[in-house]
Amino acid sequence: MTPPPAEPVAALIRPPPVARDSQVNRDLLRVMDGVSVGYFGVLALALGFMFAAGGVWIYQVYKGLGIAGYAHPIFWGSYIVTFVFWVGIAHAGTLISAILYLFRAKWRNAINRSAEAMTVFAVLTAAQFLGIHVGRIWKSYFILPYPNQRALWVNFKSPLLWDTFAITTYATISIVFFYVGLIPDLAIARDRSTGWRRALYTVLSLGWEGTSRQWKSHNRTVLHLSGLATPLVLSVHSVVSWDFAMSIVPTWHATIFAPYFVAGAIFSGFAMVLTMMIPVRRIYGLEHIITDYHFENMSRFLLLTSLIVGYAYCAEYFIAWYSGVEAEQTSFWSRAFGPYWISTWVMISCNAIFPQILWFKKARTHVPTLFVLSVLINIGMWFERYVIIIGGLSREYDPAVWGTYTPQWTELIIVAGSFGFFCQFFLMFLKVFPVVAIAEVKEIEIHARAHGEGH
Amino acid sequence: MSEIDRREFLKIVGVGAGAAAAAGCYRYSELPEKLIPYVIQDEEIIPGLPVIYASTCQECSAGCGVHVRTRESRPIKLEGNPQHPINRGSLCARGQAGIGRTYHPDRYVGPLQRGSDGAFAKTTWDDAQHTVAARIAAAQGKVAVLGAPTGPALSRLIDAWLAAVGGGSRVVYEPFAREALREATSAVFGVASEPIFDLEGCDLVIDFGADSVGGSGRSPVEHARQLMAARDVAKEEGRASRLVYVGPRLDETASVADEWLPAKPGSEGVLALAVARVAFETRSKGAPGSEASLQGVLAGFSPESAAERTGVSADAIRRLGRAVAAAKKAVALPPGVALTSRRAVATNAAVLVLDVVAGAVGTSLHIPPATETRVASFRDAVKLIDAMKSGDVKVLLVHGGANPVHTLPPDSGFTAALEKVGTVVSFASLPDETSERAHFVLPDHTPLESWGDAAPRPGVRSLVQPTIRPLFDTQALGDSLLGIARAMGDGVAGSLPAGSFRGVVESAWSGTSLRAALERGGEFGEGSYASPSLSASLARIEWREPQLEGEGEFVLLPVPSPLLGDGSGAHLPWLQETPDPITKITWQSWAEISERAAASLGVRPGDVLKVETPFGSLEVPVWPRGGIRDDVIAVAIGQGHTVGRYAAVQTPDGSSAPRGVNVISVLPSLTDEAGGRAWLAAKARVRAAGRFERLPFTQETDDKRGRMLGEAISLVALAEGGPSPWAPNQAAAVVDHGTPITGAAAAATPLGEVAPGEHAGEGDKHHEPEILRAYDAVADSLPTDPFRWGMTIDVDRCTGCSACVVACSIENNVPIVGETQVKRARIMSWLRIERYVGTGEPTLQPARPGPQNHEELGKTDVRNSPMLCQHCGAAPCEPVCPVLATYHSPSGLNGMIYNRCIGTRYCSNNCPYKVRRFNWYDYQIETWPQPQPLMLNPDVTVRAQGVMEKCTFCIQRIQAGRLLAKTEGNATPADGAVKTACQQTCPTGAIHFGNLKDEKSEVREAAAQGAGRAYHALHDLNTRPAITYLARVRREGEDHSA
Amino acid sequence: MKPSPLHALVAALGALGVFSLWTGLGASRVEAADDGPLVAHSVCEAHELEARKAADPSLQIEIPQEFASPWPSRAACLSHTAAEDASTPGPVQPIPFSHKHHAGLFQIDCQYCHTGTDRSRAAGVPSVQLCMGCHSQFPPTYDELAGIRTLKQHWEEKKTIEWEQIYRLPEYVKFQHRAHVQRGVACQTCHGPIEEMDKVYMTSDTVWWPWLLPAHKPEMGWCIDCHRRNGATQDCQACHY
Repeated sequence: MTPPPAEPVAALIRPPPVARDSQVNRDLLRVMDGVSVGYFGVLALALGFMFAAGGVWIYQVYKGLGIAGYAHPIFWGSYIVTFVFWVGIAHAGTLISAILYLFRAKWRNAINRSAEAMTVFAVLTAAQFLGIHVGRIWKSYFILPYPNQRALWVNFKSPLLWDTFAITTYATISIVFFYVGLIPDLAIARDRSTGWRRALYTVLSLGWEGTSRQWKSHNRTVLHLSGLATPLVLSVHSVVSWDFAMSIVPTWHATIFAPYFVAGAIFSGFAMVLTMMIPVRRIYGLEHIITDYHFENMSRFLLLTSLIVGYAYCAEYFIAWYSGVEAEQTSFWSRAFGPYWISTWVMISCNAIFPQILWFKKARTHVPTLFVLSVLINIGMWFERYVIIIGGLSREYDPAVWGTYTPQWTELIIVAGSFGFFCQFFLMFLKVFPVVAIAEVKEIEIHARAHGEGH
Repeated sequence: MSEIDRREFLKIVGVGAGAAAAAGCYRYSELPEKLIPYVIQDEEIIPGLPVIYASTCQECSAGCGVHVRTRESRPIKLEGNPQHPINRGSLCARGQAGIGRTYHPDRYVGPLQRGSDGAFAKTTWDDAQHTVAARIAAAQGKVAVLGAPTGPALSRLIDAWLAAVGGGSRVVYEPFAREALREATSAVFGVASEPIFDLEGCDLVIDFGADSVGGSGRSPVEHARQLMAARDVAKEEGRASRLVYVGPRLDETASVADEWLPAKPGSEGVLALAVARVAFETRSKGAPGSEASLQGVLAGFSPESAAERTGVSADAIRRLGRAVAAAKKAVALPPGVALTSRRAVATNAAVLVLDVVAGAVGTSLHIPPATETRVASFRDAVKLIDAMKSGDVKVLLVHGGANPVHTLPPDSGFTAALEKVGTVVSFASLPDETSERAHFVLPDHTPLESWGDAAPRPGVRSLVQPTIRPLFDTQALGDSLLGIARAMGDGVAGSLPAGSFRGVVESAWSGTSLRAALERGGEFGEGSYASPSLSASLARIEWREPQLEGEGEFVLLPVPSPLLGDGSGAHLPWLQETPDPITKITWQSWAEISERAAASLGVRPGDVLKVETPFGSLEVPVWPRGGIRDDVIAVAIGQGHTVGRYAAVQTPDGSSAPRGVNVISVLPSLTDEAGGRAWLAAKARVRAAGRFERLPFTQETDDKRGRMLGEAISLVALAEGGPSPWAPNQAAAVVDHGTPITGAAAAATPLGEVAPGEHAGEGDKHHEPEILRAYDAVADSLPTDPFRWGMTIDVDRCTGCSACVVACSIENNVPIVGETQVKRARIMSWLRIERYVGTGEPTLQPARPGPQNHEELGKTDVRNSPMLCQHCGAAPCEPVCPVLATYHSPSGLNGMIYNRCIGTRYCSNNCPYKVRRFNWYDYQIETWPQPQPLMLNPDVTVRAQGVMEKCTFCIQRIQAGRLLAKTEGNATPADGAVKTACQQTCPTGAIHFGNLKDEKSEVREAAAQGAGRAYHALHDLNTRPAITYLARVRREGEDHSA
Repeated sequence: MKPSPLHALVAALGALGVFSLWTGLGASRVEAADDGPLVAHSVCEAHELEARKAADPSLQIEIPQEFASPWPSRAACLSHTAAEDASTPGPVQPIPFSHKHHAGLFQIDCQYCHTGTDRSRAAGVPSVQLCMGCHSQFPPTYDELAGIRTLKQHWEEKKTIEWEQIYRLPEYVKFQHRAHVQRGVACQTCHGPIEEMDKVYMTSDTVWWPWLLPAHKPEMGWCIDCHRRNGATQDCQACHY
């Protein structure tokens, strides 16, 4: 997919409401200090889910994957579904930070920090599922191409191996990106904090003084990192999509998969950013920094990617019909009208139909609508993967062994746990790091003021 | 060294490998780390190499010879004895599973006596024998022995023993006894013995509901082999041969038949006579079977009247009659258990008359002289029950696995009568409903532990020899009887043979070289048969259809389960978990009714039916089919046990509930004209019970949607010659235009005919059969490697009997997962037999299709296609495995390395044939309760939790063969030296295996011969499978669909 | 095969063993040597004393008649003692059987006892009967060796001997002895200098892969290395099925 061209987006920028520097600092750092009961409640909930899932997982390792809903011939289930889902979520961060940075879309500054954080957490969550999914976790190191006494090598032809590489690379880059971006703000935090926080920030901010030289090299680093990260946005989910596209399963073996998955990933990523940021903004009163105007721009992105995804859905069915391959047709038919028709229609309506309301400015600027929509989109995108994986495997070439899959409570707990895992990270992040890139927000203001004087 | 010494040795060997394997149900790390050599090593035994002993299968009365493959003197596999005239090296599913009896976890481990508290208590053989002896002495001749038919030696001993202990009655009881046929034979030919049918080279076989190739036929392995040999399409006469099936239900035999006449159940006799009459009239005078005496018999049976009575069209009868007259070698097979009605003698006689007219007598039907061995008699059983009721039986001894409590109808009153018997002694080795009611259990050895013999037919004497030292404190039945006699004092024992029962068997073989017999498995000569003429009593038979009890709208058809037989097989998990050849249901009972009937009852598959007869009622899930008459409800015999770890359902609280239903519980205890047992005797009232039970089936639809699986070709198309319509270069064409979802092309395809696109190849007839080119053996294995292992499977020969499935499971330590796991599609079998009906239509699926059935009454377009790993040349599973746990071996095999597998399961997703199985749990712990691990094959790794597994083409046998060849100084094993387990046991020789690089190998020969009908499963995916299928050949036969 | 630290250890332990043996015998003599000649209490001791006397003729020794026998030979005595010495590597077996004595000194072919090794996957362990085949013919004086007594007891009671397994591979490794024996691979290639061991232990052998990784015996890499060097099969299914 292509983001909107630089000029128009830059042109979109109207001076945001101005606050004085110290004011911005205080507003943003206020988020970090003091924890409310509500905060603890939410955190406890998240941790609860996480530990429950951990327990189930240990039981699964001991007893065997049989406790999940797998049924011949459906050998991949909710775990891979959720894995792909989280990898998808992980995309918004890099997109916003890297691509929009390159395009100089300044409005990203208000959200890029949290987006990057989400990227890191989402990738970590996704990585969990590679381990949860395999039959013999205790042997899973076999998949790493390390020199060993057995003189055995791994199979570089296998998309699963590419996957492993893609995920690890992406995790590394996004963590670096996240951290580099943090440095100036950590310095600000350092200057305004005491005790262990001060110690921590001192170490992490690597002696940042804010000198012009530092700023120069900082900007250059970010620029180069963006350059590095940009191709990843496209490559990672392409590779994930090849797990499916490279196989011969009907409905999987399609050239459209890479772009289709990337678009879907960004779609879900933006949705997740909205789902997370809307409450945060509300609770910590950051309306003047993360403005409706930012949300509106994100909505435009949602609309765009939703259209791409919707197009992919149509294309799949068209090709199935046009190819004349009976197995393909049967599989797609049963996807829409077979055992999984509910999931399919949830996916289509949440991802392709509901987002159409974003054509209206009213909807784009009405925050509650956006929130509901973003949640719907997240649900829709989870079901998209469910439909692709389960639907594809349940109707393959040999009709004698067509099967049906019903998720079991065990795997659903683990799936729920993954959200807990993700949320607890995010909640911690809120309290330890500035949730919005202070420095960059200020940057905008300075620009803005400069322009203002100019006029 | 002679057998005798070997026996002594086995008494004192320490079985080291046994110790290791016994621990097979523990994790590897817990195996004992000792090397335990023999004290005295039998020179036959080299640890690590199998020793094979010849014996006889005891699972049914057919008397097939087996080779018992032992490792370190533990039997690990049964295989057919190639020298045995009856099964010629093959074995059926039941025979294969028979090995499990010896290692069954439920076995009685020693003699038991019921204590005062009513519970069994351990006792010693000495005490038990003395107590029983005392009771018998006290009974003063009011003693009865009830048991299954036994070998001559044992039979004689029992008779002698009874006489010695002061007399008493002996009842030979067998649920599936064929008394009616014996009676009919004496009525028609004046000889009271059971005819032997020889289908060798028959060009017309009419099966009147015997289901001869089905698991419960008279001699299924033999008949399946003979029938398929006679129908070999490679030969001219084979193409001319026809199989016609008469019966209310599309069973195994009907599935492979060319023509199916769903006659009204019970009217088979009328049909037979009508056909006979037409044949008789067509026949020229003087030909065999044109005796004048027949005229009177046949007079009353005009095709028209018969058509009315049987529901089969008159011209069908005429055509069949003319076919009989024209046939060179025709035979009609009398009904089996399911159609044994109250007029069974007449029905059987009618069929025999048809045989006479067809001139089968002496050629394909042989009548042995009346045998001296005791034969089963239901009349005796009924007499015994009366005696028991009236207290005239003080001591009852039950032997040979006879289980009357389960196999006799309740209204026979056996169970009640049993209460009246003071002392019931059971010799069962496995607990069953009868032995659980006994006062004494003196457990018998299993067949693998005992001596014995069998005389299945004149000229064939077969030996049973022990191949393992008794696992538990059991004692051979013969020895127990002798022991009891001795306990009664010399007065009694004096008249009986001294020494052990083994001595008795040996003396029975004294005339012959025992050593030679032990090596061969018995004495196999030509039998002498009577050449009978029609008996006068023929005239006295009255030919009427039977009356059925009750006025339900359905005829209740109790069919013998192909796998469980009369229920004795229900104790063997391999048989329970092997899908029924017709419905693909495991572990459960089901009722078959027609789809029309189901619609009128408003039930869908799995809905529970309430089946009521005047004699009781039962509730059983329904399985609607197209292939059954509308007025018939069929329920398989064999399930419904309440005792047994596998035969019954074990509830969490430790008690056991019945598994499935026992249809016998709603049958009357009625007899045929001559007092034989009548099975087809009741009508049933059927209604929906309003419940649903998920049946553990393994195949949801029999619609192959026109895909290249289980293909069939019409004889016409085949006769045109030319390359296979599915040959690679044309196959591309077929696939490329595919079948549009409109289904137009498929709809235009008549069932069984070749789809339009598939004719593309007929343009160029001149070139080689391309199918062979697709082997491209060199390309799919290393050029330097001498092998490319491959298979040829002849779908036309597959009867779906599933012997291969069981053989594979036992050879490869495939775990048993149980009913609940099968319901979750977790069955582990490496080899499944897919059953497709017709070419199928790519119709669009409803939301929840549920099980679908496309059979049609009177149509037989069934394709049984065994599906196993195709060992593709371009295997989709190989490139996707990240750790190379599955890979392409130098010999072209698709290797699966369990210890490398991390369980991503990608390979299975990418396998279009879906032949890979995953260890969802640690089955090696869950499926092998002691002492079952003793039967694990030491040459095959027991797979651990979380790894993928699949068919390996029996790699352990391949490796052994290669190394053996080297030992003998050959570079490679000779063709046929390496046999896979499935190939080895296939009764019809449908499976060929060998080296594709060897131009003259059997596997290539087979493929070349069938080149005109060869195809690769799902060829369009270009996986280059190593397995070539030969399509089923549809001979033209009249369509009897209503 | 390079000498490894383990070898040094083995050598040291071996030396220690011999030394302790010597002092042991010495001690028993010292008691007897208060006054009068040294008296042997067993054939083995008799051998020892004779050896001593050969070394210094002045030594007064007395060998009772019943111990004046050539059997068991001195070598047998030493091997027997060494084989039951717990301080040397390798597990103590139920019978202190010495491969050094049988395979080394007497040059008995490995396959004389380990029959079927050339035909079967497994290397057979000799039956008690096979041992007795020779040992039943030996003079009764041999019974002073505990091992012989144990053997005969097992034979009389028809009881199996439970040897400690030393070379042990997982279930999923199907090592084929016959294939290797037929190709003429010496037993020592894998089992080490078995004919020099009184008590069998697993000798260590290590292959260093180019990427500087050790593959220890009997790990898979160690097998693979040999297979590579000798152009033997590297098909996984040759061993794993």
